[in-house]
Amino acid sequence: MQKSMKCLVLMFLLLSLMISGCAKKPVATDEPLVEVEETTVVVDPEQPMAVVEEPIDEAALAREAAEAAEQRAKSGLERIHFEFDQYVLTDGAKQTLADNAALLKAAPNVEVQIEGHCDERGSDEYNLALGEKRALATKNYLVSLGVPASRMSTISYGEELPLDFAQTEEAWAKNRRAEFKIRR
Amino acid sequence: MKTFQTFLILVSGLFFLSSQALAVKIEISAPGEQTIPLAIAPLQPLAAPVPEIAKEFQQVLENDLDLSGLFDPVDPAAFLDDARRLGLRSSEVDFAQWRLLGAESLIKGAYRVEGEKLTIELRLYDVITRRLLTGRRYVGKLKDVRRIAHGFADQVLLSTTGELGPFSSKIAFISKRSGRKELYLMDVDGHNPQRLTNHQSIVLNPDFSPTRKELIFTSYDKGNPDLYRKEIYTGRESRLSMKEGLNIGGRYSPDGRELALTLSKDGNSELYLLGTDGTIHKRLTNHYGIDVDPSWSPDGHKIAFVSDRRGNPNVFIIDVHNEEVRRLTFEGKYNATPAWSPKGDRIAFARLENNRFDIYTIRPDGSDERRLTFGAGSKEHPRWSSDGRFLVYSLEEQGKKSVHVMRADGTGNRKISTPGSDDSHPAWSGRW
Repeated sequence: MQKSMKCLVLMFLLLSLMISGCAKKPVATDEPLVEVEETTVVVDPEQPMAVVEEPIDEAALAREAAEAAEQRAKSGLERIHFEFDQYVLTDGAKQTLADNAALLKAAPNVEVQIEGHCDERGSDEYNLALGEKRALATKNYLVSLGVPASRMSTISYGEELPLDFAQTEEAWAKNRRAEFKIRR
Repeated sequence: MKTFQTFLILVSGLFFLSSQALAVKIEISAPGEQTIPLAIAPLQPLAAPVPEIAKEFQQVLENDLDLSGLFDPVDPAAFLDDARRLGLRSSEVDFAQWRLLGAESLIKGAYRVEGEKLTIELRLYDVITRRLLTGRRYVGKLKDVRRIAHGFADQVLLSTTGELGPFSSKIAFISKRSGRKELYLMDVDGHNPQRLTNHQSIVLNPDFSPTRKELIFTSYDKGNPDLYRKEIYTGRESRLSMKEGLNIGGRYSPDGRELALTLSKDGNSELYLLGTDGTIHKRLTNHYGIDVDPSWSPDGHKIAFVSDRRGNPNVFIIDVHNEEVRRLTFEGKYNATPAWSPKGDRIAFARLENNRFDIYTIRPDGSDERRLTFGAGSKEHPRWSSDGRFLVYSLEEQGKKSVHVMRADGTGNRKISTPGSDDSHPAWSGRW
């Protein structure tokens, strides 16, 4: 506990140094500097400086950061939606995919299966093919944003796995989608 | 044995003469237009009576013949005493009585139950000419009573139209009865449903082998939509095609030597021909659009399929040899699931309008489109009986799916699924 606290303090110090070092304009850096100082004071006011001197395990830090990114990717990948009988990505879908791409790029160990789904209205076989086109369109767009193709596979479930069983425009819109499932 | 053979020869000889005479009168492809008044006398016991057997037989036979649309039943309430007389031979039947009731055809029969053994003897007579059209004796177990009735119904159609009926065949379908989509088999009247798979995954779109007691279907059992083959009686199952991506919509060629299906291994759905060992014989289509749902012409030279190559999903026909494609459907905005009649004269398909499908047929040259289904619910997946007289399809109403049959002209609709079950994607077997 104590140790990790020290670590944290050190991190903050480093961070503040970095920030103050980087930012030449004093306007933007005012607040964080103040905060860091306050924190150091509050956390360990009587700690002599010498004790804080510890080796920094950069590997562990990187690992923690990677794990955090992985967690974010695993829980943060959003599904996208399509128009009826379409596999073209809407602007909204592209925006969502840009966010998803950022998450995936930050977590290079995460591999996903992209599922293509349809609403119940088309014919089953056609929808299996359409679902696949949706999954592939999604994958290709992510590749264009820099996510390696090798980390993504695709599968179509056609109209077999609807999210909403109601027979309304709203339910159908919800069911026409591509989803991300973490592989492994 | 010898007398039986002579009897058979005699019967078939008589049948030949009579069917020649009658086949001219009855138009098979237009059932319901001209119906024959038919009296079905109740089965008479030859030994201790077992009324349930006689009753079940009667129900099955009546239902089959009603579906045929060829007959107009004579009201049993009007039957005279010949209906309760045992005499089955033409010399023993009082034809005058039946004529009086307006019957032109007459079915008389008798049964004998000995332990588990069941014998049923049946005759179909032409009342006007007093001639035996067909005579059949069936020996089986008590549990075979429905099979016997279906078998005789097939014979009645043969005698009346010159072509055997399809009532002894089977219907495969997909059901969610167990909670997941699995493959089932049932009689053409919906009885004896039997589960064939236990994949606990998603099983889709079955098709019968035309030459063996075997089905193909798609299943997600191993995580990918792969094509499977299943021998019905041995239960033996194997994966036939497991390419990356879709392996769907498998359909045996009419000679059973090849199958057409959709693969997407190269990133887009295309039609292929496979050997029965699963090796690719030929790629049929090459288009960036969606190509699915193949259905063979009965001569095996052409395949109807669905493509969005001109925008909306429509039915196209491809020549298997030179791969020339022509468009079949032009009306409507969404036409799918073509099924080529085994007679070759029409192609059934489903059209999506106002968020629900209805079933249509059209000539292979694109003319004479007819709508077959009306009313509530979405009707999909039409498939023909092997004689081209009937269509089986699935209907979805308020989220529940069920299997129905009707005549090729859209009349005689009836639900054959067990009430409350969730059944879809039927396929009609050939002769069983």
